[in-house]
Amino acid sequence: MHRTAFLLALLAASASAFAQQHGQHGRPPGAAAPAWTSQPLIAAVPGSRGERAAAQFRPVGLPATEIRVFGPRGGEQAFPVEAGAARLNSPAPESGNYHWLSARAETPAHVSVASTVWYLSNPGPAPVSLLQRAKSELEIVPDPLPREHANYRESEKWRFIVRYAGQPLAGQVVRMETERGTRTSFTTDSEGVATVLFPRDFPPEAEGDGHNRAKAGFVLSTERQDGDRHFVTAFNHTYGPDSERGRSLGWGAAFGLAGMLGALPLLRRRRNGKEQ
Amino acid sequence: MLKTLFPTLSRLRFTVQLVMLFVTVYGSVIVGTYMAGKISNALPALSCAYDQMNGGYCVLIPTQHILHHRIGEAMVRAQQLTFTMILPLLMSFLTFFAFFFVLGKAFCGWVCPLGTLQETVGMIGRRFGIGLRRLGDDDLVAARRVRPVKWLLLLGLVFLLPLLTGLGVTPHSLGNPYCDICPSRVATTLLTGNTDQLALRVSDGWSFALGATSDFLIGFMIVGGLAIRQPFCRICPLLAFNSLFQRLSPLRLTKTRHENCGQCRICSEACPMDIQEISLHEGRKAYTEDCTLCGRCAEYCPQDGTIRLKWGPVTLFSSRREYYKNKVRGELPDGSVKPVRFVKRGEASDAR
Repeated sequence: MHRTAFLLALLAASASAFAQQHGQHGRPPGAAAPAWTSQPLIAAVPGSRGERAAAQFRPVGLPATEIRVFGPRGGEQAFPVEAGAARLNSPAPESGNYHWLSARAETPAHVSVASTVWYLSNPGPAPVSLLQRAKSELEIVPDPLPREHANYRESEKWRFIVRYAGQPLAGQVVRMETERGTRTSFTTDSEGVATVLFPRDFPPEAEGDGHNRAKAGFVLSTERQDGDRHFVTAFNHTYGPDSERGRSLGWGAAFGLAGMLGALPLLRRRRNGKEQ
Repeated sequence: MLKTLFPTLSRLRFTVQLVMLFVTVYGSVIVGTYMAGKISNALPALSCAYDQMNGGYCVLIPTQHILHHRIGEAMVRAQQLTFTMILPLLMSFLTFFAFFFVLGKAFCGWVCPLGTLQETVGMIGRRFGIGLRRLGDDDLVAARRVRPVKWLLLLGLVFLLPLLTGLGVTPHSLGNPYCDICPSRVATTLLTGNTDQLALRVSDGWSFALGATSDFLIGFMIVGGLAIRQPFCRICPLLAFNSLFQRLSPLRLTKTRHENCGQCRICSEACPMDIQEISLHEGRKAYTEDCTLCGRCAEYCPQDGTIRLKWGPVTLFSSRREYYKNKVRGELPDGSVKPVRFVKRGEASDAR
């Protein structure tokens, strides 16, 4: 336990030092990063979810001038960042649930890409081709994305593919930082897949389900040097507590048994009738 | 070959049911994670979206979500009707109709995973002699009185409460109340090894009450299904939803008058929903709101051509005396079969 904590602390310290180091080597100056990570993010603007067909997102930790939206039906559109945020719509042809958002900032020596997923509204096409399309040089691509009624949750394992120029990268280190303070890393296998275990770092009282369920941000990031150019790519989204939190299996089983007991008279009456 | 594999309509139907149980509960294994949700999210069967391995969603989920999140909220904001309100609901209903046009209410009798599970429980009961409770005349009156419950559930839990929640009148936890009490949600998620939906949310009174109802229903269904055929189908709002449109589908049950009708009543006895109208009436009256198009009445009708399953002008199955004679040798109309009895070795040898 202590050894794990020590390793985590060591990883966090090294990741932070690494990030600062790269900040000093040609990384473009960006919008202020949140306290919990120095990685580039695309964050939803709080309170902007009132309209179903549009939403506001802001690039964080990189000076992107636009957020590019990749629609589920192949559409692609860039929306300018104004006053720190971009107001996004689904690009034509519209309709569908899964939208990929990408923000990019670059100097001759450094390319930063932040990416996330925006769920709009079912029904719509599956995001298979959306995820297969190469959208930047270095990418972290969820495989698969959580479906409707699913979320990233603590203690769950999810696969993410790291690609460079559309090809999977084996042995690539993917760092994970969460809003709840976890710092860890994973390495991709021979098929470029990093299997990410979401940490169990929510407080015990956090609700795991319902409309008030707790959630926190996480970011996965990776980097690669190619000649004179240094690429940093991040994928961020939110995760939640285990859905068993705030639920009682005991109560559920008790009501199930009560239902069984409630139906017993049906069996008894039948037997009596047969005997008669 | 086909006749050897499926000698009776019941055998064919049960095979289809088992295949569809696999598709609706574990379908993503075959069709992929995302396609699972896209076979349709408007199926006329209780295929639960909370099951993360399933092959399609039930139409009641988008209906509740649209009424809650789109129509209710949009009415509050007094926004445009077309894109935010009517179009999504129309899309769900059109998709539903596309499926319904092909199979009609047979989705209940041939596809619904909860229907299959209830039939399986009933079969187990009869096979081991725990057995079927024959409904007497008083019970049949009670069974008929239960019919309005499914309409109340449809109106109250699928349409009204989600809309009121969207309007802000009722609490958020009543946003999809039917799903919260649906036993299919618990049954199909349990089949994937997930106990989340069986566990009750204890932090919110409404959620606890709805979840408790669901768990009670699944418990009742498991034991009650041994005694009464298809206990939950009798109050299922999806059966009510499907019966709203049953005249629009080419797949239907037809019955003509025969002089013995109303006397032998074998068809009613064979009906898993205990529908009396099938033996008493003919024409439209015989095809009632409770019919799931399972076809058992046609299998057990001893008169040639009296009861038929038809798709448009094509007869898919027709009652036949010879078929009936063969059928009753294996299984009585009420589903009774020769029970499996466990006997001690000594008793078995004595019997020989």
